[in-house]
Parts: sequence; structure tokens; C-alpha cells
Amino acid sequence: MDDIIIAILRSGTPLVYVTLAGVIAQRAGVWHLGLEGLMITGACATILGIYLSGSVVLALIVAIAACVVGSILFWFVIEKLKANPIIAGLGLTGLGLGGTALAVQSIFGTQAAVNAPFGLPRLGPAFGSYGVLSVFVLLMPVFVFAMWVLLRRTRFGLKLAACGEHPFAARSVGVNPSAMRLAALMIGGVFCAIGGAELAAGSLQIFAQNMTSGRGFMAFAAVIFGAAHPVGAAFAALFFAVVGAIGIRAQLIFGDNVPHDLLLGLPYIATIFGIWLSTRLRGGNKTAASFGELRDY
Amino acid sequence: MRDRIVPVLRGLIFIVIGLVLCGVIFTIAGYSAPLMFQSIAEGAFLRPRAFEHALRWGLPLFITAVGVGISFRAGYFNIGAQGQFYVGAIFAAFAAEWLNGAPAVLVIPACFAAGMLGGALWAFWPGLLRLKSGTDEVITTLMGNFLAGLLLIYVTSGPLKDPSGSGQQASSRPLDAAYRISDSYGLSPTIVAIALCVGTAMWILVNRTAFGVLAGLAGRNARMIEWQGAQLYRLGLSSFLISGALAGLAGTLEFMGPNGRLASGFLPTHGFTAILIALVANLSVVGTAFVSLFFGGLASAALFMPIMAGLPAAAIDIVNAAIALFITAKSNAIDRLFGSRGRK
Repeated sequence: MDDIIIAILRSGTPLVYVTLAGVIAQRAGVWHLGLEGLMITGACATILGIYLSGSVVLALIVAIAACVVGSILFWFVIEKLKANPIIAGLGLTGLGLGGTALAVQSIFGTQAAVNAPFGLPRLGPAFGSYGVLSVFVLLMPVFVFAMWVLLRRTRFGLKLAACGEHPFAARSVGVNPSAMRLAALMIGGVFCAIGGAELAAGSLQIFAQNMTSGRGFMAFAAVIFGAAHPVGAAFAALFFAVVGAIGIRAQLIFGDNVPHDLLLGLPYIATIFGIWLSTRLRGGNKTAASFGELRDY
Repeated sequence: MRDRIVPVLRGLIFIVIGLVLCGVIFTIAGYSAPLMFQSIAEGAFLRPRAFEHALRWGLPLFITAVGVGISFRAGYFNIGAQGQFYVGAIFAAFAAEWLNGAPAVLVIPACFAAGMLGGALWAFWPGLLRLKSGTDEVITTLMGNFLAGLLLIYVTSGPLKDPSGSGQQASSRPLDAAYRISDSYGLSPTIVAIALCVGTAMWILVNRTAFGVLAGLAGRNARMIEWQGAQLYRLGLSSFLISGALAGLAGTLEFMGPNGRLASGFLPTHGFTAILIALVANLSVVGTAFVSLFFGGLASAALFMPIMAGLPAAAIDIVNAAIALFITAKSNAIDRLFGSRGRK
């Protein structure tokens, strides 16, 4: 049983962090499809940082800086140039996927996966068999709670919600939606960096091209599934991780009777189901396409 | 005429901005930006027979992009062209496998029918979910892309596996030469004719039929169209099916023409590029044809650049992504940023 929970936490924790980034962006009225690109940027920067500098702290700082810069670029394009957030988000994702591949190629001369000598600090023997997990797994509930406090119990969070739901009302009390969105996206960038770092250096200590394989989009789906509530979205993300773990478990049980490539698809199917269910429960008039433009009024 | 050309020219401004961003990225990564641009320009447009290379890559892209344009016009963000492209190719491959031995006159049309059916099927379920229950098509079609990718891996390493093949990339048995519609070079009268037919049919559909006009209006104001008595459900679902069928057709074309076999993960950015083309062309069919040639040139440069400038083929993906980042920017945004010329 322990190893299943460990597997779920391992695959679920990066997803939860990125989901939190999606939640805060969603609250600000931005449908963030660039999560995937920021996540892989964070993963790549962490591994390269550890490899080149030998310091985890430095690597995390580099990853966070890279993701925040990416977020600012995204904000500039959708806010100042008024680009469609969906397409621009996909562009940001492509830039992250291609840019990290290029970075690895230019530093190492090959496109092979990069191994780091060590990863994020582990919980250690005090936690028994859970000691192999990184500290960010333990910090995850703290961050989820902190995000809930930030969004629901602070002036900043309430202003942010106003910007997302009714920008005109926010403006009328002197809040600048544009600046609030920048803040939300930058905070989101930090969480994407942590999610990417956890994915690459939490247990594997490896960076490979396209290693996020759609996790950023799953995180976005978790935001919708969880109605942009930090706790709900975190549970939605964990649900996707549980389904993924079931798929891996099923491979061990059924062996070659069920094609394992198709079992790998279970999280994607769960995501589709989650989106469908949340629309059934809450009505479906809010789709990403209808948020093709940021509203200022 | 002017109001058609101006949006395209404005689109080009943002392509230039995207290219500048690329230059910055490449300089940071330690490559020479001028050499990169030179190799792109040469690979895409200046080397001998560049136009034919651009056509080879551009024609399948054009077919997919026209389909993407149809669903975008109707107001649905079907970004699952990649998955529909894959499933179309898979269906065609199965048809070719089952009919192996029959005369080519029979097999080739059957493969095309199967490919279009496959693509349409892969667009059908997101369309149905969207129109029946309002499920966000952006996410379902995205997830469909990943599922189709896995399906392709499964098919090429399972049911259709080439037993003689080895190496890392699984692939299917090569298609019998009698059924190929072009050589590996990838350009043949058949492919040009198919692209021309698709282009003409879609231009008529969009500009000269009630469906096209209503779909275009539905994309702008669905509620008004519904009040006027149009059946939004049928309109929407048809646009999903058409866009899926065209992506499937392009997949069949790549399978039966240049590639001649299915390989896991072949042309992984086809769908994304097609979305870009549709957006740059402002969703018009004629525009899509020209823009496809441009991006077809870029795609052919991707194979040329590693040889010339030592750049990885991923460089073109970065160029495309940078263009995607900026392509939907409002052109008056520039005026607002740099002074007050935009005010009238």
C-alpha cells in the first residue's frame, strides 16, 4: 500500500503545484495554457542548475527566475498586445518545449536525457519508507493552504477575484486589473518552477525532452475540474495522479494482456471525464474559447 | 481587396517580432542568429527547387489548416488537428493492411475514405461533448492529441508492427509501392490534384453555401443565429466533422505519399503548424493557401538547417512557437504602445 501512495504523491505533487499556478491565473481571469511550457522550463532549469552549479538552492532560484520571466512575457503578449490567451499560451508552451530542447542541445551537444548528480533534498529516514520523497511533497499541503488563504482571506485575493469576474467593478474601486494579472501570473510562474523542479529533481534527477508530456494541460484541466478553488483543484490533480498510478499498477497485474501504451492514456481519459463531469455539474457556458480575450471592462 | 491584404500584412509584422524573439533565444543559446536566419531563408526559399520543397510540406499543411479554419470560423477551438491527423493515418494504414493485394484503383480510394472517417471520428467525440453538454473543446481535443499519439505508438509497435524493423522508432510495414501516391520526395500530380479539389470545395463551402455563411456568423454571435432559426447543433457538429476529416485526409496523404509507412510520432508538430497557418491567414481559404506555402518552406528548412548551420531541427519549432505567441496580437496594440497614431 505504501508504495502506491508514494507513487501517487510522486506523480501528483508536481501536478498540484502547477495546478496552483493555474488556479491563481484563472482567478485573475486568464485561462493559462502556457503552464506546460513554464513547467518544462522549470524542470530543465533545475536540472541544468544542479548540474552546472552543484547547488540546489541556486538551481531553484534559476528555475523560478526563468519561469517568472516566461510569465511576464506571456502577460505582456496577452495584456499589452491583446493577443488571444489560448493561442499565446500554446505558443508559450511550444517555446518552452523547444527552448529546453535547444538548451540541452547547445550545452551537451546531444538530445539525450541529462542526469543530475543529486536532486531536491529528501525527507530522510525519519519518515520511514516515505523518506524517499522530496521535501516539496511535505510542503504541498502547506502551499495549497497558503494559496487558499491568499485567494480567499486577503485583500489581494479578493481584488484578484474581482479582476477576474468583473474587471469593471474592480476598476471602479481603483484596482488595476492589468497589474493584478501580472502579479497573479508571476506568482503562478513561481509555482510552475517548483512543480517542474519537483517533476525533474524530486525523485528522478533527470531531464528529458518533452518530459512533462501534457501534465501542464492536465493541471489546467484540474483547475476547471476543481472550479478554480485551490483545495478542489489540488484534489482534482491528485485524482489524475491516482488514475495514472492505477494504470501503472494495472500494467504490473495484467502484464502483456493489456497493451501498456493504452494504459498510459488513462490519465488523459480521466482528464476528459473530469472536464465533462464538471461541466455537467456546473453548467457549460464558460469555455476557454469564450475567454479568447481579456476583459478590461 | 485592400481590407483582405492589410490583415495579412499586419500578421507579418508579428511574425517579424516573433523572429526577433527567436534571434534573442538563439543568441542566448550560443548560436549565431544571423546564420540561423540565413539558413532559414536559404532552406525555405532560396535554394534550388525551394518552391517544390515548400509545396511538398505545404500541401498537407494546407489541407489540415483549411479544416482548422472551418471549425475556428464556426467558433470552436478545435486544436486537436494533430490527433485527427494521426488517427486518419492509422485508419488508412489499417485499410491498406486489410485490402492488401486488391487492385490499386480500389485500395487507394478506400484508404482515403478510411482516413477521412478516422479523422472525423476523432473530432466527433469532442464535438459531441461540446455541443451536448458544453464540455470545453480546448481541453478535450488537446487530450485527444495525446491519446492519438499513444494509439499511434501502440499500433506501430503492436498490430501493424514491421517485424523486420529494428531500432528505437517503431514503424509499420512499408506500404506496397503500387498503392503509393507519390515517391519519398513527396510531390506528385495526385497530391496536387487532391489539394486543389479540397481547396476549391472548401472555398465554395465557406463562401457560397448557406452552411458556410451561417457557420461564419455562428462563430461571431451564436445566440443570434440560434434565434434566427439555424440549427446550431448540426452546424457545430458538421464543422467539427469537416475539420477532423480534412486533418485525417492530410494524415492519409502523408502516409500514402512521402512517408509510405506509419512511424510512431511522425510529424509531431503538423497540427500545431496548421493552427498557426489558419490564424495567420485570418481563416480565409485563399489566404491559407499562400500562408501554407510560407510555412511549408519553413518546414522544409527544418531539414536543411542542421546540415547548414548546425542547428537542431527543434529550431523551427521554436520559430513556430514564437510566431504563435504573437500572431493573435491586435495590430492596434502596437500603436497604443508606441504613441497615439492609433487614435482617430
